[in-house]
Amino acid sequence: METLIRTEELTKRFPRVVANDAISLDVRYGEIHCLLGENGAGKSTFSECLYGAYQPTAGRIFFMGQQVQISSPADAIALGIGMVHQHFVLVPPLTVIENIIAGTSSLSQLVDYRRAEEEILQLCDQYGVELDLYAKIRQLSVGEQQWVEILKALYVKAKLLILDEPTAVLTPQESDKLFDVLQEMTREGLGILFITHKLKEVMRVSDRVSVLRKGKLVATVDTASTTKEELTKMMVGREIVFNVEKETIPSVEPVLEISDLRAMGDREQEALKGVSLTLHKGEILALAGVAGNGQKELYEVLMGVRSASSGKVLLQGEDITNKPTSYIMSRGVGHIPGDRLNEGLITEFSVAENLILGEQRSKSYSSGPLLDFKKIKEIARSQISKFDIVTPSEDTSSGTLSGGNQQKVILAREFQRCSLCLLANQPTRGLDIGVIEYVHRQLLSKRAEGIGILLASDDLDEILDLADRIVVIYDGRIIGILDASDAKIEEIGLLMAGVEETDP
Amino acid sequence: MIGVDEKVTKLTFKFQRRTEPSRLGQALAVPVALVAALAVSSILIRAAGANVAEALEAMYLGAFGSQNALLETLVQATPLIFTGLAVTVAFRARIWNIGAEGQLVAGAITAYWASVTFSGLPSIALIPTVLFFATVGGALWGIIPGYLKVRFEADEIIVTVLLNYVIQYLLSYLLSGPWRDPNAFFIQTRLLPEAATLPILFSKSRLHLGFVIALTVAFVAYVLLWKTSLGYEIRALGYRPNVARHKGINVAKTIVLVMAISGAIAGLAGGTELFGIHPRLRLDAMHGFGFTGILVALLGRLHPGGVVLAAILFGALVNGSSRMQIVTGVPVALVYAIQSIVILFLMAADGLSRFQLRKR
Amino acid sequence: MMSDLLQATFVVGVLAGMFRVATPVLFAALGELITERSGVLNLGVEGCMLVGGFVGFLVAILSGSLWAGVAASMAGGAVMGILVAFMSTTLKVEQIVTGLSLNLFASGITFYWYRVVFRSDEITNIPTITPFRPIEIPFLSEIPYLGELLFSQYALTYLALLLVPVIWFLLYRTKQGLHLRCLGENPRALDMRGVNVTRLQYLAVVFGCMMAGLGGGFLTTVSVGLFIPGITAGRGWLAIVIVIAGNWKPQQILAAALIFGFLESLQLNLRGLGQELPYQIFLALPYIVAIAILIRGRMRSEAPLSLGVPYLRE
Repeated sequence: METLIRTEELTKRFPRVVANDAISLDVRYGEIHCLLGENGAGKSTFSECLYGAYQPTAGRIFFMGQQVQISSPADAIALGIGMVHQHFVLVPPLTVIENIIAGTSSLSQLVDYRRAEEEILQLCDQYGVELDLYAKIRQLSVGEQQWVEILKALYVKAKLLILDEPTAVLTPQESDKLFDVLQEMTREGLGILFITHKLKEVMRVSDRVSVLRKGKLVATVDTASTTKEELTKMMVGREIVFNVEKETIPSVEPVLEISDLRAMGDREQEALKGVSLTLHKGEILALAGVAGNGQKELYEVLMGVRSASSGKVLLQGEDITNKPTSYIMSRGVGHIPGDRLNEGLITEFSVAENLILGEQRSKSYSSGPLLDFKKIKEIARSQISKFDIVTPSEDTSSGTLSGGNQQKVILAREFQRCSLCLLANQPTRGLDIGVIEYVHRQLLSKRAEGIGILLASDDLDEILDLADRIVVIYDGRIIGILDASDAKIEEIGLLMAGVEETDP
Repeated sequence: MIGVDEKVTKLTFKFQRRTEPSRLGQALAVPVALVAALAVSSILIRAAGANVAEALEAMYLGAFGSQNALLETLVQATPLIFTGLAVTVAFRARIWNIGAEGQLVAGAITAYWASVTFSGLPSIALIPTVLFFATVGGALWGIIPGYLKVRFEADEIIVTVLLNYVIQYLLSYLLSGPWRDPNAFFIQTRLLPEAATLPILFSKSRLHLGFVIALTVAFVAYVLLWKTSLGYEIRALGYRPNVARHKGINVAKTIVLVMAISGAIAGLAGGTELFGIHPRLRLDAMHGFGFTGILVALLGRLHPGGVVLAAILFGALVNGSSRMQIVTGVPVALVYAIQSIVILFLMAADGLSRFQLRKR
Repeated sequence: MMSDLLQATFVVGVLAGMFRVATPVLFAALGELITERSGVLNLGVEGCMLVGGFVGFLVAILSGSLWAGVAASMAGGAVMGILVAFMSTTLKVEQIVTGLSLNLFASGITFYWYRVVFRSDEITNIPTITPFRPIEIPFLSEIPYLGELLFSQYALTYLALLLVPVIWFLLYRTKQGLHLRCLGENPRALDMRGVNVTRLQYLAVVFGCMMAGLGGGFLTTVSVGLFIPGITAGRGWLAIVIVIAGNWKPQQILAAALIFGFLESLQLNLRGLGQELPYQIFLALPYIVAIAILIRGRMRSEAPLSLGVPYLRE
C-alpha cells in the first residue's frame, strides 16, 4: 500500500508544554491506522495539526508525495483531508443538509438545495446510512449526529479521514456499525486515522497502531503482531495491574431508595420516565448508559438542582425529594459532577475557596455573616496535603491547576462532606491513568467505610472493575440490573442500546 | 486586520493569544488608558480651536487648584461613589444593572416624599428618615428587574434601561402635577425643607455629609464582598452561576438581594445628592450619574477602593471643566466624551493584555 | 372623545404615522438582527443611531444635500461598527460592556462636537435643515385614506419596508446567509470548514451598525430636521427589544417594529386631542410594552446559541 500522508519530525509547542515532539508517522491508502495514547498524550493536537486548525512549530507534512503547508482547515479540505472532531461541530437549529453544505467550496451564492440533496443521498446509499436530510440536528440522536459529521467529510471528497474518539458516545452496537462502514471505506482506498484511548477498539479494527506518550511517538506497530499488554506498556511506560481488589462486601441496608422518579429535561421533554433503584451502604452501584439517556438529569434531581415531577427519593428513610440542594448536602450527600468546570469548580476562586464551596454558611467556616478565614486556611492546608494536591498554596487560583489536581480538589471536598452516600458522575473523565488509579483507590476506600456510591461512567472497563452491581439506564428508565460478577459486555451493550431481555 | 487565531500578519510577527492575561498588561491597563485618553482629549481640544496646555491647566486648577476647588471636586465625586458602588455590587454578580440612573431618581422621589410627609421632625430624626426612604425607593426600583429576571428570565440589561425611561416620566408627571410648586414657572417642587438638608462638612464649601456616607458605604461594600458568606456567594454567582446552583447557592434569592442592595445604594445617591446640594427636586438635575457610575465602576476595577478613586477622578474632570470652558471656551461637554474614552481604552488595553507579540 | 378617536381621519393619521415612526427602529432592528445572527450582541445600537443621526445632520447642513447626509449617516454607523467589531471580535472584550461604553461615548462625542461646530445656545439659533418630504406616488396617493396611508410615505420608509424581504432572502436562500446563521449558533463549525469567521463577523457587525446609523440619519433628516443631543431617546434599546420580540426573524421583526410605531404615533396624535390622562403615560407606554414583551419572550426563544460569546479557535 502506498503512503497517503506522512509527517517528518512534526512538533507543536505551546507556551507551557510541548504537545507533539518530533513525531514521524504515516498513514497509507486503504488502511485504518489507530493513534493510541492516554489523555493529554498529544493525539488530538497532532490531528489538529494535520487538519490545519493548529500550525506545527516544526516539521514537515507530505500528502500524496508532495510536501504541503496546511495553514487552515480550508487548505486541509482542499487537499482532501476530512476530520470528525471529538466534540461535534454541528449547528443544532439547522438541518442536516444545511450542516453538510455550509462552508463547502462548491456552494454557490444562491444555494441549490436540490442538487446537494441528490449528492448527499447518493453517499448515504453507498454506505447504508439512513438520515432525514431535512431534520434539524437537535432532533437527531447522538449516533445519527455522528453520521452527519462523517458525511460532512465525505461530501468534500476526503481521501484521508481523521476520527477523534468517535465511539465515545456510541453503544457497542453502533460502534460495530461504524467499524463496518470504515472498513468499507478502506476498501475504496480511503486512509483512516483513528484516534482512541480504548485498547479493545485498536485490536479490533486497526491495521497498524502508533502509540503516543507525553507528546512523543513511542512506536508504530502492526496490530496483528502486538497485544493489549504490550500496547498498554507503551502507552503508560509501566505495567498496569488491571484487576482491583475489593476487601469488603456491601451491606443489605439501603442508603438511597429511588422509586418511580420522573422529571422533565431541558427541552420540554420528559428526561426521567420512572427511574427506580436502590443503593446500599458500602456498595458501588454503577450506572451504565450512553450519555444523554437521563444520567445528568438523574444526578441533578438527586442533588436537588432539578425538580422531580413525581416519585420519591429516600435518604436513609428520610424523604429528600425536591428538597433544596443545601439541605441534601448537609445530610451527607457528596457529588462529583460530570462536568468539573461547569458544575464543580470555580476557576477564578482560590483552592481554599473552592474547598468550602457549598459550606460557606456553615458553622465550620463562618461566624455570623462573616467568614472565618483562619479555620478555612487550616482545613484547606490539611486537605491539600491529605489528597496530595499539587499547588503553590491554598490561595492560588484553581484555574491554574492541572485537570487532575482540579479533580482532586473536588474529591477532597466531596469526600469530606459525604457521610452517607456519594454521587459520582464520570469522575475519571479526561484524567491520566495515574490519577484514574488514584480516584479508583479513593472510591474503594470510601466503599470500605460503608458509603454508598452511585457511579455513572461510560467506560465499561471501569464499571466492571469497580462495581458490585450494574444498572443500565436507557431513555430515562432503568432497563436492566446486573450483578457485576457475572455481567458480560455484550449484555450491557444490548441494554445500553435499549434491547431488553424480554424482546424476541 | 489582526486575526486572533494564529494567522500571520503581513509582518514577521504574529499575535498569539495567551492562556492567561499578562499581569503586567493588566496592571498597566489603567495608566495606559488614562494616557491614551489624555492624548485623544488633546486632539479634541485642538479641534475646538483652543490651546491644549492652557485648557488642561485650567481644568487641573479648576479641579485641584485651591481648597475650595478640591472640596467641590469631592462634591462632584460623591454621587459617583454611590452609583459606582451600586454598579460594582451588581456587576460582581454578573448582573448588569444599567438602571442605577433610574434607581437614583426613585430614591430622590421617595426621599422627597418622606421629607414632606415627616416634615415636622427635627433634623436629627428627619435626615436619617429621608435617607432611609431614599434607600427603600432605590431598592424597590431595583427589585423589579431582579424579580423579572428570576421569574421570567427577562434580560435585566434591557429591563433596567427601559425602567430608567419609565421613572423619568413618572417624575415628570409628579413634578408637573401633584408636587408642582404653584408659584414657580418651571416644572419643579417647592423648596426642600431646611431641616432635611444635609449638614455641610466644611464651611464655605458645598461638601456635605453625603461624602462621608459614601465612604462608609464603600467600606461596607468591601466587607460585604470579601469578608462575608453572602459576598462569597455573590462572587461565585458572578463567576460561575451554574456551579453556584449546583452547590446549593440560592441563585434566585441572591439575584433579587443583589438588585435590592444595588438599587438601595443608587437610591441613596439620589437622596444624598438631592438633600446635599439641591434646593428643590427638578426634572433633569441629576441626569447621568447612573451611567457615569458604570464607567466609574469599570475604571475602579469593580473594587470599592478603586471606585472611590475613579469617582474622584471623574469628579475632578467635571469640576475642572467649567473653569476650562470659562478660560478657553472649550465646551464642558468634552468631559462626557473623555469619561467614556477612558473606559474604551481601558477595555482595549485589557483585551490587548491577552495577547502577546511573537516572532514567527 | 371616543367619537374623535374613531374618526377615519384620526385612524388613518395614526396608521400613516406608524410607518414613518417605525422606520428608524426598523432599520436599526434589521441591522441588529444581522449583527446578532453573527453572534455579536451589540448593545451600542443607541450610540450608533446617535452618531449616524449627528453625522448625517452635520453633512446635510454643510453640504446642503440631504442624500449626502443620509450616506454620511451610514458611514458614521459603519465607523462605529468597526469599533464594535474590533472590540468584540478581535480583542474579544466583554460585549455587554463594550456596547454600553460605546453608547456613552457616542452621546458624549456627539454632544461635544455639536457644541464645537455650532457654538449655539440651547434656546436661540438652533440649526435646522429642511427635511425630506414624503413621496407622493402619482394617482395612488390620491385614493381616499389608503392614499395617505400607503402611498405617501418617505423614500426611506419604503426602503426600510423593502429591506425586510431582502434580508429574509439573504438569510435563508443565499450562501452568505447560511454561513451567517451557522456563525451565530456555532462558529467553530464554520471555522473547521475553513470559512473566515473573523471576516464574516466584521462584515455583519459593520452592516448592522451602518443600518443603525441610517436609522439615526432618518431621525434627523426626515422626522425632525434638526439634531438635539439625545435625540434617539431610547430607540436603539427598542430596536434590541424588537429583535427579541421578533424572535430573530425578519417578518416578525417588522410586525414588532410596526407595533411600536403604532404606539408612538398614537401618542403623538392624541396630544392634539387634549384629553385628561397625563401625557406621560403615553410616553412611557412603548417602554412598558417592551418590558411586557420581554416577560413573555423567553419561551422558545430562538436566540443564536453563541450570541455574546467570543470565538476562540483553541
